Amino acid sequence: MKEIKISYAGQWLRDWYGIFIHELKLIFTDAGAMVIFFVGGLLYPVLYNIVYSNGTVDSMPVAVVNLSDGAYSRRYLQKFDATRECDIYCECASMAEAEELMHQRKVHGIVYIPKDFDERLNRLEQGSISTYADMSSFLYYKDLRIASSLVMLDEMHTIQLEHYAADGFTGQEAGELVQPVLSDENVPYNKPFSYTIFFISAALMLVIQQTMFYGSSLLAGTLRERNHSFASLPNHLQGLGMGRVVLGRGAAYFAVYMVVGTIVTLLIPWIFRLPQHADWLDVMVLLVFYVVDCIFFSFTWSTLITRRETVFVLFLSVSPILLFLTGFSWPETAIPAFWRAFSYLFPSTFGCRAFINLNTAGCTLQGIAPEIRILTVQTVVYYFLACAAVFLENCYLCKPQRAGVL
Amino acid sequence: MKEILQVLRREIRIFRQRPIYILASVGVMVFNTVFYLSFMQDGLPHDLPVGVVDCDRSSTSRSFCQQLDATQQGAVVYYDDIHQARHDMQTGRLTAFVVIPEGFNDDIQANRQPHLGYYVNSLYFVGGALSYGNIVTMVNLTNGAVQRQVLRAKGVNEREILARIQPIVLDAHQIGNTTTNYGVYLNGVLLPGVLEMIVILITVYAVGSELKYGTSRHLMQTAGGSMGKALLGKLLPYSLIFTVLGISLELILYHWLHYPIRGSVGWMCLAILLLVAAAQAIGLFIIELIPNLRLAISVSAIFSVFAFSVAGFTLPVEAMPAGIRGIGEIFPLRHYYLLSVQETIWGSGFAGWWQEAVHLLIFLLLPPVLLRRLEEAYVNERYERD
Repeated sequence: MKEIKISYAGQWLRDWYGIFIHELKLIFTDAGAMVIFFVGGLLYPVLYNIVYSNGTVDSMPVAVVNLSDGAYSRRYLQKFDATRECDIYCECASMAEAEELMHQRKVHGIVYIPKDFDERLNRLEQGSISTYADMSSFLYYKDLRIASSLVMLDEMHTIQLEHYAADGFTGQEAGELVQPVLSDENVPYNKPFSYTIFFISAALMLVIQQTMFYGSSLLAGTLRERNHSFASLPNHLQGLGMGRVVLGRGAAYFAVYMVVGTIVTLLIPWIFRLPQHADWLDVMVLLVFYVVDCIFFSFTWSTLITRRETVFVLFLSVSPILLFLTGFSWPETAIPAFWRAFSYLFPSTFGCRAFINLNTAGCTLQGIAPEIRILTVQTVVYYFLACAAVFLENCYLCKPQRAGVL
Repeated sequence: MKEILQVLRREIRIFRQRPIYILASVGVMVFNTVFYLSFMQDGLPHDLPVGVVDCDRSSTSRSFCQQLDATQQGAVVYYDDIHQARHDMQTGRLTAFVVIPEGFNDDIQANRQPHLGYYVNSLYFVGGALSYGNIVTMVNLTNGAVQRQVLRAKGVNEREILARIQPIVLDAHQIGNTTTNYGVYLNGVLLPGVLEMIVILITVYAVGSELKYGTSRHLMQTAGGSMGKALLGKLLPYSLIFTVLGISLELILYHWLHYPIRGSVGWMCLAILLLVAAAQAIGLFIIELIPNLRLAISVSAIFSVFAFSVAGFTLPVEAMPAGIRGIGEIFPLRHYYLLSVQETIWGSGFAGWWQEAVHLLIFLLLPPVLLRRLEEAYVNERYERD
């Protein structure tokens, strides 16, 4: 047989292209994988945007027990009722009545003003107000706390001004005494501390990694069930050429996920009017780094999956864990050292942070350089691990007596 | 009875042959429990990085920084210019930063009302919110300190000074979680949620595998042709495992770790039993509805992940759009959450939560509705492999 001479690069490209097309066919002919990539990858962002569309609990019902019922306490309650966070649901005659309402979940907080409140303020003494928060959700607690404190501070200034007026200081002078230091509050990015903005910014990037991992594991498991793993290399390579297998398959996922990723990171925020402070090109740059990393990450870990459905049964609960590891809620500095080290295994940890900072906080590409650097290191490590996994599995498959065990 | 025992024996054999069952139930649950319990072990984060750009470098500004650093929540990081601080906040390294302007001290002494600027990163929720509260408190304390000096100079007595600096004192109580422990709040629902997820997935997987691997006829034969006996024998071992996992979880949380509970741990154990039963019923219902392992697993995955969001323990249900508020009712986790609130926070006992218990029991009525459908699939062994 006459051998046709093809250069190494030519052969490499030919193999690569063959594997690339083969993988694309696999993806597009598998209903399950398609459902996960396109329905799962796009459904979750939409669902979350609908569920979390409000993001804040406004006008939370609060019961009020005003035993003092004087000018100061009424003014306090009036201002309290006017806050965005809380509404006075009803004025109760006693604590027991208010407690009963909270118990029935009709109110989520109680403001209790003791009998001597107004009297004490009139006597130039400190008056105290007690608040009781329903701790069944932290947002209830946060609302009651913010509303009662803001009104307290406001009342504090009003009362101080009254006192100074009695001493003969008015106008500018009194203002200077009451507030010797003025403060300029700036809460950029997410002024109302909306649940929507902070949750979805983190969830979007996680969805990309997780759907890719589940989908590619599903495909890998299916192939292994049929006893021909993707790891079976073309025969003429004689057990070599892991690079083109991994890169060929990777290219197929890259093609699919640049589409899914663009929709998730650019189109979804646009549709649901989430903040988009980054240049779209910058987001695309981050997306390229992240998707490539996710691909090799998925290839490496899907090696553990030997059957089609097991990936969900084993790894579904990892998704919420990964969300916590991004530090979006519980601050990164407070994460125990062991789990912080553990979080370095996952692209999502850095992809999510980079996306939050880039897209929502509006920093530059230079600002997310540290995250991109880690993503790159992960990519290189996972690439070699994926190659090694193909190599080992290929060796394993080549032993004919054991081929049936998988 | 004999048939049920035979199915049971068969199931235990499967269980021993395929490690996935033990891994996916006990393994996953243990990992999740260890993760969440150790992850939020501090209760509330402390020493959050707060930047300070001190352009004044006076004794007043230094004392401000020192006091901010001395709070439990804050750890001050010093910056020379505002750009670097802003950059670090924008990239998530700081939870907030304060800018103390030049001449801060002189302006205070001369009654010129200097402006103290602070910036809060509200994208990292807990850290941002805590630092925000911390800085606001510090600013008010600074104002109070200055006023105190002025009032002292005027000869006002100390008791009156206090009343004039802070006329109203807030006394905040957190019912059911006095220390505002974030771990207590989240883990009490999150971990049962993970258990619910495991129960649904494994039930679907175990029942669906019979179809996938073409062993359902064998199962029916073992059960003497009775669908009820087949499922009873098949699911009983798992019920046992889940029950043990559930009760261990409740005991770990409320007995061993002393999570605050006003009611009884016994009722919480009953609650988790109901949750497990309801979740098994949901799992069985899903595979009956879609007698195809692959699809059923995907549906259960979406269902059980979504449960965390609509249970209402993070974002309360009343803050969701009106159209989807009711959706929570079809998730056992929502009812478990409501039940646990009544029992742990209010200690209301049976009278307070019987409706939620009934809700959870209603889920048990689901599987019989479509039992015939699964039976047909089992007997005919219709299964599309791809």
